[in-house]
Amino acid sequence: MEYGLKPLGREKIWLWALLTPTLIGLLFGALGSVIATVLLSFAKWDLLTPPTWAGIVNYVNLFNDDKLLLSLTNTLKFTALYVPGVVVISLFVAVLMNRKIRGVSLFRTAYFLPAVTSAVATALVWNMIYGRDTGILNFILERFGLPPVCWLCTENAMYAVVIVNIWGAIGEGMIIFLAGLTAIPREYYEAAEMDGANGFHQFFRITLPLVTPSIFFQTLIATINAFQAYDYIYMLTRRGQGDSSVPVVVFSIYRNAWNFFNYGGASAQAIELTAIVAVLMAFYFWLERRYVVYE
Amino acid sequence: MKYRLLVFAVIVSLLLTACGGTVASQKADITMMMWGDPAELEVWNKIVEDFHTANPNITVKVDVSDWDSYWTKLKTLLSAGTPPDVFAMDAPLYLDYQSRGVLLNLQPYLDRNPDLLKGVYPQTLEAYKTPDGMFGVPRDFQTVALFYNKDMFDSAGVAYPTADWTYDDLRNAAKQLTKDSNGDGKIDQFGYSLDLWDFEPGMSEIIWAYGGDLISADHTKTLVGEPKARQAFQFLHDMMFIDKSIPDTNTLSEYGDDAFLAGVAAMTAIGHWVVPGYAEVNFKWDVAPMPKGPAGQATSVNSAGFVVAKDSKSPDASFEFLKYVLSEPAQKRLAELGFACPVLKSVAESDAFLKQSTPIDHKVFLDSLAFARMKPVFKGYDEWSSAIGDGMATIWTGEAELDPTLDEVVKSADEVLANNQ
Repeated sequence: MEYGLKPLGREKIWLWALLTPTLIGLLFGALGSVIATVLLSFAKWDLLTPPTWAGIVNYVNLFNDDKLLLSLTNTLKFTALYVPGVVVISLFVAVLMNRKIRGVSLFRTAYFLPAVTSAVATALVWNMIYGRDTGILNFILERFGLPPVCWLCTENAMYAVVIVNIWGAIGEGMIIFLAGLTAIPREYYEAAEMDGANGFHQFFRITLPLVTPSIFFQTLIATINAFQAYDYIYMLTRRGQGDSSVPVVVFSIYRNAWNFFNYGGASAQAIELTAIVAVLMAFYFWLERRYVVYE
Repeated sequence: MKYRLLVFAVIVSLLLTACGGTVASQKADITMMMWGDPAELEVWNKIVEDFHTANPNITVKVDVSDWDSYWTKLKTLLSAGTPPDVFAMDAPLYLDYQSRGVLLNLQPYLDRNPDLLKGVYPQTLEAYKTPDGMFGVPRDFQTVALFYNKDMFDSAGVAYPTADWTYDDLRNAAKQLTKDSNGDGKIDQFGYSLDLWDFEPGMSEIIWAYGGDLISADHTKTLVGEPKARQAFQFLHDMMFIDKSIPDTNTLSEYGDDAFLAGVAAMTAIGHWVVPGYAEVNFKWDVAPMPKGPAGQATSVNSAGFVVAKDSKSPDASFEFLKYVLSEPAQKRLAELGFACPVLKSVAESDAFLKQSTPIDHKVFLDSLAFARMKPVFKGYDEWSSAIGDGMATIWTGEAELDPTLDEVVKSADEVLANNQ
């Protein structure tokens, strides 16, 4: 898969010249901190006194410490619910938004709005929606004679935050799918119509196979986002003293490092997270070779 | 991308700070860093202005962040070797820093100024004492008292809390003040409310009043699972789930975690720090001392203080500033802020503190020192108290049983203590 124009001759010099500032930033900013994180994951370090060698203790703790295991299970559960949710719903929304209907740009804006709104502010609004005694959602349920649900209590909080995170990500997913959908030549549909294919057939036989590159890309992005998800989750599930009722790995990394002076343990968690994402990415690329259709 | 940019910005700013401030001369430039809100910054700017007038050779740069960013920023600057000269410290976290050798020992300076701490409440100095001397001084303190909504007491015909109240009196009054006024089966006025996150405010006070304790003197054993502490927890648990006079924490979160401020709880236990915020409410309220338990009356005292970085290039100027913070004019400014109690006795007992704009019985907070106990101070406090607070969270939402959960909590808290030895 090759996209765009290939740089030729003198252009190559300019290419590198223009990329240099970014590459230097990457080299010192990203690569440096990656190497530092790997080294620190084998150390006991409280930031204020020199680090001491700890061997694999931090990695052993990943499997022994109940709290670390809980945050890992939460992240995996969250990802398993979030990724399919985002991909399916934003594809569905994109298909709807790809039709010639009145005020489509208004709807597109509405779906994209969460992406440009502060997560902290919207999370506060969601808090009002989810409230057990004062929330709008339970008010509606009670109007229909249904018992109120404690949305943000421990047993439901995971689903509640997944819903909010999906809601927040539909906009960006929709944009990606819309780009993919508009690239499908109209003739395919016209030909299918002449052969008597209905909308259902058209979607599954033409649209779906031809947007697989977008689905692949969106799944990749959604997975990375799922592993990094933090803001909505923390705002909706935070408890006193910086605790969360749905602690995810990113949250746990932050807390171990900055609140509990355990930078070594936090680094090991970061490596663990990276390793899981890397394995998933390898799996996705394997799937890509088998199933993704490029024109 | 945002993250990468941030890292880059941090590196650049660290480089810039490292290049500046190396010029040594008669004149000293010091940086003072603290947590606080805009109102606090305004008062501290005034204190610094006064300080500049008194010490024209020293320039103080004030740097204020919110609580969370403050600690992150402080740790980053300390590890980069470019700490602020003077910075604010929360007493329970003091040993986390002192034990790691990043603070300047102030003892030689204090020995040269033997009168400096004479007028300061001795209870507020305890937290800063170590076998090697004091590495910090308090600037203001907080004791926990019982806040009550006068309007709710009046309309229920219940007598206001007094200094002789026991926890049974509190429970009875709370029962009478708990109401479902529109009859929809949901309580819309609670008698008492506690946020139940940390020991302070509300939990350590009742544990001590019942004769229990939080942690052994050598900080190796968690004591909140012992019978007397358990009784205290059971008492609060009964109020919450039998009398239903305390909102559980799920309900509480719907009221912004402060049911008293929201006007749905008749009483709460909290410190003086809420006074400026509570001044805005549209109901009448006042304060009373914490009630008595079977083992007597108890409350907690905690302080915020200042420390000097060991790597400070101007330790003398920094100490001059600390001296000024403990002087009458500076302590008066702090009293005007109305946030905390001044540590200087002469100012705390003067009109500057007692006759603040919010007309409540401010003396209660000073009198409470007579039966106040120190919020624990030891290395690893944050992690230990979080292990307990997090572990007990499901008890206070009503999802977990008190006794077995408490057993688990004590076990994990003891593990934290062992790791921090």
